Amino acid sequence: MSTANIVAVGASPLGRTDLPGRDLFSKALAEAFEELPDPADVVDGLYVGAQSERYENQIMQGTLMAEWAGLRNVPAERVEACAAAGALALKNAVRDVRAGVHDAVLACGVEKMTAGGTEGATNALGAAFERALEQRSGITAPATYALLAQRYLHETDATERDLAKIAVKNHRNAASNPRAMFQEAVDLETVMDAVDVAPPLKLYDCAPVTDGAAAVVVANDEVASDLLDREDAVRVAGVGSAANNLAVAERNLTYVEGANVAASTAYEDAGVDPADIDVAEVHDAFTVCEALLAEAAEFAPEGRGIETVEDPGDRSAGWTDVRINTSGGLKARGHPIGATGLLQAVEAYEQLTGRAGERQVTDADTALLINEGGVADAHTVATVLEAQ
Amino acid sequence: MTDTDSTTTGPLAPDDITADSPFTLPGFFDALAEGRLVAARCTECDEHMLPPRPACYGCGSRAVTIEEQPRTGEVISYTSVNRPPSAFDHLAPITVAVVELDSSARLTGRVDASLEDVTIGDRVELQVRDPESVDIDLDFDLSYEEDWPIHVFELV
Ligand SMILES: [Zn+2]
Repeated sequence: MSTANIVAVGASPLGRTDLPGRDLFSKALAEAFEELPDPADVVDGLYVGAQSERYENQIMQGTLMAEWAGLRNVPAERVEACAAAGALALKNAVRDVRAGVHDAVLACGVEKMTAGGTEGATNALGAAFERALEQRSGITAPATYALLAQRYLHETDATERDLAKIAVKNHRNAASNPRAMFQEAVDLETVMDAVDVAPPLKLYDCAPVTDGAAAVVVANDEVASDLLDREDAVRVAGVGSAANNLAVAERNLTYVEGANVAASTAYEDAGVDPADIDVAEVHDAFTVCEALLAEAAEFAPEGRGIETVEDPGDRSAGWTDVRINTSGGLKARGHPIGATGLLQAVEAYEQLTGRAGERQVTDADTALLINEGGVADAHTVATVLEAQ
Repeated sequence: MTDTDSTTTGPLAPDDITADSPFTLPGFFDALAEGRLVAARCTECDEHMLPPRPACYGCGSRAVTIEEQPRTGEVISYTSVNRPPSAFDHLAPITVAVVELDSSARLTGRVDASLEDVTIGDRVELQVRDPESVDIDLDFDLSYEEDWPIHVFELV
């Protein structure tokens, strides 16, 4: 089996932008290939994560992105797992490189969420939920996660204030991330006083609707050493994924079992333990997810996931010293659905190669990414990355 | 005819999978329109699946049977959809809940009550509404959904 390495990353600006999806992709690609030969000289195929064709009424995203990258007659596929589509694109690229099918593959993700307004985004995202009983009850993304949050607050001693602190922490992290959509801190009272979206979740408990794209080049050792110095590559040490039930009602509301399976699989694949992870980007589409995923990744004891906001020395016994969502997370960096899993990889790449600037975690050698699609662990992809 | 008292277990044969079988969505909603809420029950591990499925996600067995469900249950989580998808705009804010029926089957549904009047542990009863009376935007329905009833819970 070949080793898969991330050798280059790029991202578009995040937020409400004036560029269509394909042009956002061009931005991300241009950054990733800034110091490399042309994409056609490097990669043999691509995967593109894209949640919905409803935003821009365009499918065949694999073909389109390949054209925009100057590639022709290569395997080029769109993958879809709602918000986990980006990590799924990465996972497929890693699989192909490991298997020796390709020497280098481009994993990318793109979503132009603002194209149809708030109503368009709400309706497009609604398609992620079970049709017969959930969609036909008028459910939305914040409401499905609110069902998890409400039960979490009922079963644990966590409070709405604890969830708010997660938003405050992630905004603080985003303030030093030049890629972030919201580069400013917010205080606890602002979060607590914000308008209800789906109780107990308020405005700042929810990741924003975001336009954006990201691109990650995955290559075997030979290509990696042709292109870069060894320390500029990050090894993809482990991958795992799992699908749980589509309907939120049919899952454990306070323990994201599918995410635990995905993370455990990735740990095993990489030969690491949760305690080995220095930095983690976990899918905080809503604040409660960060707490649930800290537990599912086995960083935190059950019911104590809310302590992601504390410094390692101040956490409960049984916690690891991991730093979570140094990028600002989906919450504050932004959440362009299909690109999100790859934006997590961009942050980990920067942390593990010492490029994270003010938010650099000292001696960060091992990272975990958890990207989820549907409600929470309806589909989870987990990835372990290691510095060279 | 929708057979809700089936004692059949084991993998469904191709000929069993028809629009009047409760193992298909049309059959499930036909039964619901007649007032019968049915779930699949796994005869190996007793998992309940609502709507019915041809295989058990709990243990993988295809030895599933159809069982009529109690219409009463308990709210295990709830929230409010303040900005619903456009087809449901006129209903906003929508109170929704995850309900565990007295059989242990679970489903999500609207609750016909204000958010302030609902809490975890509340008893609810399933009601079946004509889609026209709910007045959901017709564009929302797929061709095969037009006559399917809409489920909603009432506090009891
Ligand atoms: Zn079973």
